[in-house]
Amino acid sequence: MAALSELLGDIVTDVDGLFLFTPSHSHYERFEEADVPTVVIAPENTVDAETFVELPLQFQNVKDRIRFGVEGAMEQSIVEAGDTIACNVGIFGGDPDSVVRVRVEENMRSGIYDLFANSRADPGVIRDVFEVAIELGKKGQKGEPVGALFIVGDAGKVMNKSRPLSYNPFEKSHVYVGDPIVNVMLKEFSRLDGAFVISDSGKIVSAYRYLEPSAEGVDIPKGLGARHMAGGAITRDTNATAIVLSESDGLVRAFKGGKMILEIDPEDY
Amino acid sequence: MMGFASPLPLQSIGSLVERIVQTAGLRFLGVLAILALGLVLAYTAGSLVQRLLVSFGVPDSIEGTAFERTARDFDTSTVEILSWLTRYFVLGLALFAALSFVGIDYVDRFWGVVIAILPQLFIAILVLIVGIVVGDKVELLVAERFRGVKLPQVSILPALAKYTVFFLAALIALSQVGVAIVALVVLLGAYLFGLIVLSAVAFHDLLKSGAAGTYLLFIQPYSIGDEIVVGDVQGVVQEFDMFVTYVEAEDREYILPNARVFDEGIGRIR
Repeated sequence: MAALSELLGDIVTDVDGLFLFTPSHSHYERFEEADVPTVVIAPENTVDAETFVELPLQFQNVKDRIRFGVEGAMEQSIVEAGDTIACNVGIFGGDPDSVVRVRVEENMRSGIYDLFANSRADPGVIRDVFEVAIELGKKGQKGEPVGALFIVGDAGKVMNKSRPLSYNPFEKSHVYVGDPIVNVMLKEFSRLDGAFVISDSGKIVSAYRYLEPSAEGVDIPKGLGARHMAGGAITRDTNATAIVLSESDGLVRAFKGGKMILEIDPEDY
Repeated sequence: MMGFASPLPLQSIGSLVERIVQTAGLRFLGVLAILALGLVLAYTAGSLVQRLLVSFGVPDSIEGTAFERTARDFDTSTVEILSWLTRYFVLGLALFAALSFVGIDYVDRFWGVVIAILPQLFIAILVLIVGIVVGDKVELLVAERFRGVKLPQVSILPALAKYTVFFLAALIALSQVGVAIVALVVLLGAYLFGLIVLSAVAFHDLLKSGAAGTYLLFIQPYSIGDEIVVGDVQGVVQEFDMFVTYVEAEDREYILPNARVFDEGIGRIR
């Protein structure tokens, strides 16, 4: 048995912090008085932790989850490059079942945390749009793969840099992403061409928008189509975030400031 | 042996009844019948109340209130307490019916008063229990509503709501049993008056903006992306809700109360 605990001892020696991912109340209390600073990373601060990083998406990929937590902690100056931390995460199912030793490095800043926390739109709105895009990517429209383009935030400017392709089905309506009916509506409307424009607070301003950004200096991977180009380019011209579901490869990508920030596979969620 | 034994007690019971009828008269039998009927009625009424409350989803909706939790501590529940209360009430009525049937002289002042007060007392207790449960529930709901607000002072609001409901319930209960409550009613009036006047003064601007916002949301004279002028503010509408409109100009974002949008009028730039 001694050898086994040494194995764990090696992993947690000289760490500068302990990151608990979605701990239960009793689990958190056990480590509250630990000799290293404890950081809770969870969708909601249910344990009233002092240092807390909000996890907007339950990243199925543990690497993404840890990276997001570390990035959030760096952003809040809880840890800095060079620190070593132990992460207590659940790889199989909900309860934390493993400990991972991570060295915090500057290149871990991928902008995922920034995408949620520092976007113009509310983090909850971005999360809701992500969820719609992921679900749309998983199920498609009546089994057929679909593409979709959501421009979130800074809606006033986006509207001024785009034109309608047809009547706006959302005109004078008060529909917000996150309402249960919306998922169905967006799925139906995703058959239409053009972009969805969503305001900072999550109001669906318009569908059927043809975006007219200037595409100069947009840095997106080659091989992506017009939808990604349009979405990426509008984020350079405005403070919006673009969330794009690709029809050809089924991936969900997020753009901000003209750059691709995040690429996820809907099947992983 | 057993086969021969059974008719014997029956005979003796028959003779016993006969003897009782002879000695106590029909009146006694009537009393027994009334009491039995009362028991059955009380039991069914209680069960009916219990079933009605359960089918209306009362146990679920009062889950977690202090009264319910206390009741749980005593191994019972609010619904059960209410159903037993109904049973005792019906049983009490039956008892008095029986007493009057026997002709016990309830001209006697004491019993007269008791009978007169019994229904009121029942209703008063009912009102009190309902008041306590509703008060608890209101506290929970208000607390839930303000949970996102991390302000210690906010915790006074749920308690205030709870005690207002308690106070009202106590007032109704007391007036049921005929206790003089004029002073309490005056107190209530003063309290409500203060509450209404204070909130009218405090929320004056919000109410005004809310009224204007209702119109703006319904009619939508401008929508997100339009460039508008309100007074000396010019910019692109980014967002609008019940109370404010967010207008973004070149280098700054204005948050205009809807009342002001209404006061100054809107200029739409094409």
